[in-house]
Amino acid sequence: MSLRVVHPGAYYHSESLEAAPHAGHSDRLVRPEDLGSVRLSDYNVVLVPCRTPADRMTPRIDQLAAYLDAGGTVVATGESESQLFLPGISFTPQPTNFWWWLTPGADLGVRIAAPEHPLFRRLTQRDITWHLHGWFDPPEGVEVLAVNGEGKPILYIDQVTTRGRMVITSLDPFFHHGSHFMPATTRFLDGFLPWMREELDR
Amino acid sequence: MSILFIHSHYGPTPAAYAEAEAAGRVRVVRETELTVADFEDVAGLLTTTHLDQIGFAAFIPALTALLDRGGRWFFNGHMLRLFVPGLGLYTPLTKPIRRPDFALTRLNDHPIFAGIDQKSLEESRGVAGFYGRGHNALPEGGLAVNVIPAALFPIDWEWRRPAGGRIFSHAGNDLGGMGGEGGTGALVTQRALAWCAGEVGQ
Repeated sequence: MSLRVVHPGAYYHSESLEAAPHAGHSDRLVRPEDLGSVRLSDYNVVLVPCRTPADRMTPRIDQLAAYLDAGGTVVATGESESQLFLPGISFTPQPTNFWWWLTPGADLGVRIAAPEHPLFRRLTQRDITWHLHGWFDPPEGVEVLAVNGEGKPILYIDQVTTRGRMVITSLDPFFHHGSHFMPATTRFLDGFLPWMREELDR
Repeated sequence: MSILFIHSHYGPTPAAYAEAEAAGRVRVVRETELTVADFEDVAGLLTTTHLDQIGFAAFIPALTALLDRGGRWFFNGHMLRLFVPGLGLYTPLTKPIRRPDFALTRLNDHPIFAGIDQKSLEESRGVAGFYGRGHNALPEGGLAVNVIPAALFPIDWEWRRPAGGRIFSHAGNDLGGMGGEGGTGALVTQRALAWCAGEVGQ
């Protein structure tokens, strides 16, 4: 068990990271400002949750790059402007339609792109569908796990940019789960966090 | 004397607060640059849902001093840390949540909400539940303003702190965002600033 989770301190972070049912997936929490005193190589995975203010992470760009180049894994979820502190990320934001589901028969367009991937033994398409904040244009060779209605990646694994691994998504489950809002985000974490533990934390 | 707005998220200052800053009414301080001195000459404080509640604990003495001299604090969000004796933690609605659970009731008049149709805050595009889904514990002697039906949970309340100062709690998304851009939310934002400044609610 070695997961280091960045804790920026907003209520939705505290609810998601400290409270049941997901608290057990965070071995050690660390404030963004304290990352510099942590030897990241002691940890298999560093998780940066949704809505981590990017300017609290940018001082750690070099440390994160060194960790990745030493083979580490960074998981970063949405609305944190991860492209500002992680390498090789090209992100295009989009206006969020929070209301798409009010139209009978509407389809947000989110699709699982790699149904054979172990993550999707734990998650269905319904569990990754709530709304969209944007998409990525990742480097060639990444493993795209989910796409938006235009086929653009919204969740992918990058093992080509560094010697390590980045799991990058524009989905923002910690924020909404931590706000007691949007059951799909809770289901996402119910599946994603155990997968992260079993598949990435080793 | 002005109002201190703690800007906790990464990105631009929300328009209403930027305009109030330009008018010399509000001092906007990025939370990462907050100092004790920022509390010393203001009449009130407004914080958002994105407040770093862990980091904010370092400012408890400055907050207490502000309240002791009769200052005011408008708190948006879920209280998951305790900053002032007498306050309690957030309790979410218990599941399953149904539409009637979100019906807002004005239990007591308050100048921030004077003349505002509660329905305009209760729903957004016909959907309820955005206003709030739980409550911060009502301090002893506090005034419940808007409640949600489940056990009359006080989603909005004001507390005249016996040792001095007042706290207004809104246990949901930032109150200014309710009711649509330029609509009720904008009016509520102006009222909240007036309340922070001590201009209303004597």
